[in-house]
Amino acid sequence: MLSTLIWFPVLGAIAIAALPLRQSKLVALTMSGFVLLWTLWIAHQFDFTNPLLQRQEYLPWLEPLGLNYQLGIDGLSLPLLMLNSLLTWIAIYSSQEETERPRLFYSLILLVSGAVAGAFLAQNLLLFFLFYEVELVPFYLLISIWGGEKRNYAAMKFLLYTALSGALILVAFLGLVWLRGADSFAYEALMGQSLPLWIQIVLLSLVLVGFGIKIPLVPLHTWLPDTYVAASTPVAILLGGVLAKLGAYGIFRFGLGLFPDAWATLAPGLATWATVSVLYGATVAIAQKDIKRMVAYSSIGHMGYILLGGAALTALSLVGAITQMVAHGLILAILFHLVGVVEAKVGTRELDVLNGLMNPIRGLPMVSALLVLGGMASAGIPGLVGFVSEFLVFQGSYSVFPVQTLLCVVGTGLTAVYFVILLNRTCFGKLDNAIAYFPQVEWRERVPALILALTIFFLGIQPTWLVRWSESTAIEMVAATPTVTHSPIAQVSD
Amino acid sequence: MTTATDAQTRIPASTHEFADVVQRLEAGGSMLPDTPENLMQIIGIYKAYAVPMDFYWRNLLYIAEHVFLNPLPAFKYFLPQEYLDLHNHYAGDDADLRIWRGEATAHPELLEFIEKGELNQKLPKLLHHLWHDRINMEFAEACMRSMFWHRGMGGQFDPYLDSDEYKANTDRAIRAYFQGNPLMLGLYNLFPDMFLEQVRELSYYANLGLFWEVMAPVFFEMSDLYDEGKITTVPEAMDFLVNGIFAIAGRPIYHHVYIRGECYEIVPKSKGFMWLYEAALPYVEAVFYRTSPFRGTKSYNAQAKQVPTDQTEFHYGILYADVFPVGSAGIPPTLLMQDMLHFLPPYLLDYYNQYCRGEDDMLIQLGISFQRSMYNVTSAVIQALRTALLYPLDDPNPKHLMANRQFFETQLDRFTRPEARLRDVQRQDYR
Repeated sequence: MLSTLIWFPVLGAIAIAALPLRQSKLVALTMSGFVLLWTLWIAHQFDFTNPLLQRQEYLPWLEPLGLNYQLGIDGLSLPLLMLNSLLTWIAIYSSQEETERPRLFYSLILLVSGAVAGAFLAQNLLLFFLFYEVELVPFYLLISIWGGEKRNYAAMKFLLYTALSGALILVAFLGLVWLRGADSFAYEALMGQSLPLWIQIVLLSLVLVGFGIKIPLVPLHTWLPDTYVAASTPVAILLGGVLAKLGAYGIFRFGLGLFPDAWATLAPGLATWATVSVLYGATVAIAQKDIKRMVAYSSIGHMGYILLGGAALTALSLVGAITQMVAHGLILAILFHLVGVVEAKVGTRELDVLNGLMNPIRGLPMVSALLVLGGMASAGIPGLVGFVSEFLVFQGSYSVFPVQTLLCVVGTGLTAVYFVILLNRTCFGKLDNAIAYFPQVEWRERVPALILALTIFFLGIQPTWLVRWSESTAIEMVAATPTVTHSPIAQVSD
Repeated sequence: MTTATDAQTRIPASTHEFADVVQRLEAGGSMLPDTPENLMQIIGIYKAYAVPMDFYWRNLLYIAEHVFLNPLPAFKYFLPQEYLDLHNHYAGDDADLRIWRGEATAHPELLEFIEKGELNQKLPKLLHHLWHDRINMEFAEACMRSMFWHRGMGGQFDPYLDSDEYKANTDRAIRAYFQGNPLMLGLYNLFPDMFLEQVRELSYYANLGLFWEVMAPVFFEMSDLYDEGKITTVPEAMDFLVNGIFAIAGRPIYHHVYIRGECYEIVPKSKGFMWLYEAALPYVEAVFYRTSPFRGTKSYNAQAKQVPTDQTEFHYGILYADVFPVGSAGIPPTLLMQDMLHFLPPYLLDYYNQYCRGEDDMLIQLGISFQRSMYNVTSAVIQALRTALLYPLDDPNPKHLMANRQFFETQLDRFTRPEARLRDVQRQDYR
């Protein structure tokens, strides 16, 4: 059942790579479309009230090593699986028809999809690590072969950073198992045991830095702007929309889940770290002249909200953090897609050159309108999904970390500042005669953005459809971490 | 017809920024390069312009002559049949001077459009009007207001509007029009200048209507000649305009008002105001060159001196217009483009479909063709002025040729400012 989400894309990747198929994009779309439908069906069957793992699958594999094929879903992983399936389909759909070496390209994307799904589903630390590492190579190739300017530099930087990330995580996992004297890497088996607090803090620190690189958090972020900017649009969608969420997922699943005492001890520091990320990302985004780089830095800021929600560790803030993962994935995907369309049509991403794209006849009016919507969603305007997640995080975190929360609210204001700058310079004003001969945006290019926009809008006005998946799991995770002070106002059950 | 060598061999080459254009003008050419593509664009646009223009001049005269000072002119664009049947003085069998070989009454394509509109459905006139499925008279009124607002652009017509004679004529008409209406007569007694100013504006309605009454058949005839293969170059098209200008130059400009069947001469024909000096030249100056800042996507900051304090330095006319942002709603040239869109000849439709975004941005493409065509009309005016005021192009006297050169260069100086589109229309890929 769950294995389908991993192996169907992998089989698709193998089929596309090995068989002389001409319509590789169509095959990839069909495969990813099936996976998306399958994920939705699993979601339909999901029991919201059950906080524990559901639909578990187990196959003994290398038992002497403690490595078994062990899968399951809960309220933390299911929303991210849905996000992964949706964005994979969107990424494939939004890729150019004339992509070079299409068989390799679509194979790698499907491989990434399968590996990420595996990481979200894995209930064995070593199995998670394998999936976590497997997606590294396809991403490296996707950036270095189909990337833009400085792609080799960006791909190498990405590889080095994420390899370091993997190494730190592996050390933490091995340390946990060895120090506990456990004979298995099974997640559930490791949850219940305790270690001295200082050891927990050391191991948690490794996990935080390891996954913090992936998210990324300041100052571990320096690979991100180069990589996001160099990556082609579909790859940037997957990097920002899915891969970064894998980092956040890892922090919650393994940091919070395996080291609850240490988490509670470090929580104030984490909240401050989150605040620094939010403010740094927002202020640096304001200074950018390249709209893709601006969106990339905005991502750093927005991922900070997730850490804040996790650090506060109220049920409400944790639901907000999980919701923010999905919301941010959707918003980042639409922004990257639209920036890609703008670049493809206008030939530049420079704020100083772009102007007047809202012009109804010679501009890119629908793209501009959707860009406005994406910017509004990112800035947390009510009625859109960004508001739901940010409000939940702030509402849930304020009672625990009021100063950090208020500073993050300032960060939201700064988000509005740079998006106003972006939209004002890009969409409004006078269209420049010298460059205003842009090709028309085709419906094929509008469809991904429209799907994402509808999702962002729908979940904004009907947030229950987003938060209900993770409520029970969030309450359970908070309950398992007894040391963080909670305020009654922050109970999700209120 | 002269050749380039007359001026070029007898006087030193021009060092003007637009030396190549000066050379072309000295050779009897147009500011617009002579290419078949340019010719096709400008002739096609002349035809598309002439059809709504046939409505504009009739409606302008109707407003000036019959609507007059109606305080609630809600139906002023509902042109009565009488004015659709009104004979153009330069077309039809009974023309004073037959410029166009077609009918003197409203153009058939215009009548068809008035009946069914863009919806291509016969609905009550009011519905077509409210749906804006009609000829946009707002453009014609914007041109009229531009002439009226700038005023003082030479000639005798405009000073006459401040004369005692004009005031007396106006007073007589106003009192006749409001006869039996004590409220309006009382208001007139209280605010006579306000009503006088209204009538001045109506005199410009008549002025522009009489100007366009000439231009519509000129453009129709050019289109027919092009279709028959008798106009084959841009200079030929310009020469047709120059010849037309001289043939019609003396046409009287007047303003008559019809009140209860009686004609009141506000500006009598007997004043001898001539079409060329009192209508054509002020029109070109006000509409082609000056107008006023667009209310479009480009905003001007008057306090930052982005708008000249001296009206004579205004440069917002079609020769300077940035046609791209004009795609927004509500700006007069946009309305004209919308009007012309309905009457494009098939060859121009095919042409636009081949470039840029085809049908989707045709409005802008035809706007730029219109800009090209107006550079050709302005060239005709410049050549006509040169003919009237200076020397032949093949004059043997170098001093005379130099005087011509200075005249051309002075005219082209107005296009050296960055907003001017003369540079752009030299390129074929400016669309």
